[in-house]
Amino acid sequence: MFKRILVAYDGSDGARAALKRGIELATALGAELSSISVEEHLPHYAASISEVKAAKEQIDEYFRGLTKHARDQAALAGVELETIVKQGHEVETIVTLAREGKFDLLVIGHHGHSRIFERTMGSTAQSIVRLAPCPVLVAK
Amino acid sequence: MENVWFLAAVWLGLALVATLLAIWLKISTALSEIVVGTVAQLIIGALVGPHALGSSSAWVAFLAGTGAIVLTFLAGAELDPAVFRAKWKEAVVVGLASFAAPFLGAAAAAYWLLGWTPDASWLAGVAMSTTSVAVVYAVMLELGFNTTEYGKAMLAACFVTDLGTVLALGIIFSPFTLKTVVFVVACAALFALLPVITPRFFRRYGGRVSELETKFILLALFAMGGLAIWAGSEAVLPAYVIGMLLAGSVGRDHALIRRLRTLTFGLLTPFYFIRAGSFVSVPSLVAAPMVFVVLFAAKMVSKMAGVFPAVRAFRYAQQEGLYYTLMMSTGLTFGTISALFGLSHGIIDAGQYSHLVAAVIGSAVIPTLIANAFFMPVHLRPSEVGEADPMRRVPGGARREARNV
Repeated sequence: MFKRILVAYDGSDGARAALKRGIELATALGAELSSISVEEHLPHYAASISEVKAAKEQIDEYFRGLTKHARDQAALAGVELETIVKQGHEVETIVTLAREGKFDLLVIGHHGHSRIFERTMGSTAQSIVRLAPCPVLVAK
Repeated sequence: MENVWFLAAVWLGLALVATLLAIWLKISTALSEIVVGTVAQLIIGALVGPHALGSSSAWVAFLAGTGAIVLTFLAGAELDPAVFRAKWKEAVVVGLASFAAPFLGAAAAAYWLLGWTPDASWLAGVAMSTTSVAVVYAVMLELGFNTTEYGKAMLAACFVTDLGTVLALGIIFSPFTLKTVVFVVACAALFALLPVITPRFFRRYGGRVSELETKFILLALFAMGGLAIWAGSEAVLPAYVIGMLLAGSVGRDHALIRRLRTLTFGLLTPFYFIRAGSFVSVPSLVAAPMVFVVLFAAKMVSKMAGVFPAVRAFRYAQQEGLYYTLMMSTGLTFGTISALFGLSHGIIDAGQYSHLVAAVIGSAVIPTLIANAFFMPVHLRPSEVGEADPMRRVPGGARREARNV
């Protein structure tokens, strides 16, 4: 059925639920499992390199912990998880990777970050469901 | 407002608001602080009184000035000596062109098109000549160019441009007297001794809770800053050079830089940037918007005229050259430092200051947007050329970590 599953994982409660479902599906179907985490942009128009470096260190540390946690969760279930970290806009980045990586199922949480964007443009989950090139499972 | 602690609370409150705005809008804290300073002065000035924010009080000026000096030192200390040695020819040629062309071009535009005085025009030239190494660095890091030869050369060139700006600021408006000679001799002696003494001194006595390193650096910065002011020059000049000279030693001490960063961004630079913003006169900007257009256009056109041929001389293709040129056209920190220097020394008035700061901020934002939207040399990104990265990059700027099971 599904051979390549992609989980959108930003560490939020919704994303944790998505990861759990993704691991369960990968175990049951013997599918390949990958996760995509989208990095925030570095501060634009900074006053010093120090400010940029500090932000980068924080972002790297956060995503290092995030992807390690995801891999640990998958490993506990005996699943091999490929973790991918990308920079860019969440919806565009996730949808593009799903298309280019030829994934046949995308698992997302019902609520991630980017709350201001959600209020103005509609939820991230809704946009992904609308634009994704493959079936999307929204975990709650 | 005479109560210093209440006033300090107001400033730190503004700094907090600026930080929250920076987080929400995903812009730098510095830019946010400038805007918050402008709006705060507008509102508090109208409701309470023009001097209620206390931007001109001595202690605010001291904290803000210290912020500018330490920020400048940190900027110099971020130079990578190894990269600079490897790329010095390109860095010097492009960096000097990037300084000289807008310095002369913006000064000429201010003098002939805007009718500014000669000193005010030179000051405009200095403020517009800068390249924001931080803006460039953020873009390079985000797109992965910082690990390429292309990005490294560009970053090295930024330091040369800023050195030109700092030297111009320190020399042009300084009267040449016996004090200048004393200042130059003291600078030469200290610049020769510091790189030798500092690492040994830190190895012998550093690494303690008493923060000997921070005190030593502040002593050097304050002493040379004081000497610079005494000689009629500018305190950021020795600070930048000291930073560059210590880049190979202090600059590599990440723990020390992190502690200095905490002091600088936690307390000092909010005072500097909010104060810089508080002097911006919104009515002046609204009354004469074309002044901003002339200054901004003068910077862009002269950067193009100077940097693009220099970059092309190093055999970059047209798209790479245009991207390089637009990145070198950015400016922020040294532009505002130069404008504030001009205002505080009576070289420019509040209206001229406002237009210069607006043009500086415009140059931080607009060239970056244009460069990334239309001229990004995607083929040079590490993912495309397969350069090494500790967290292996894949097309699109992604990092793919190793499978762990």
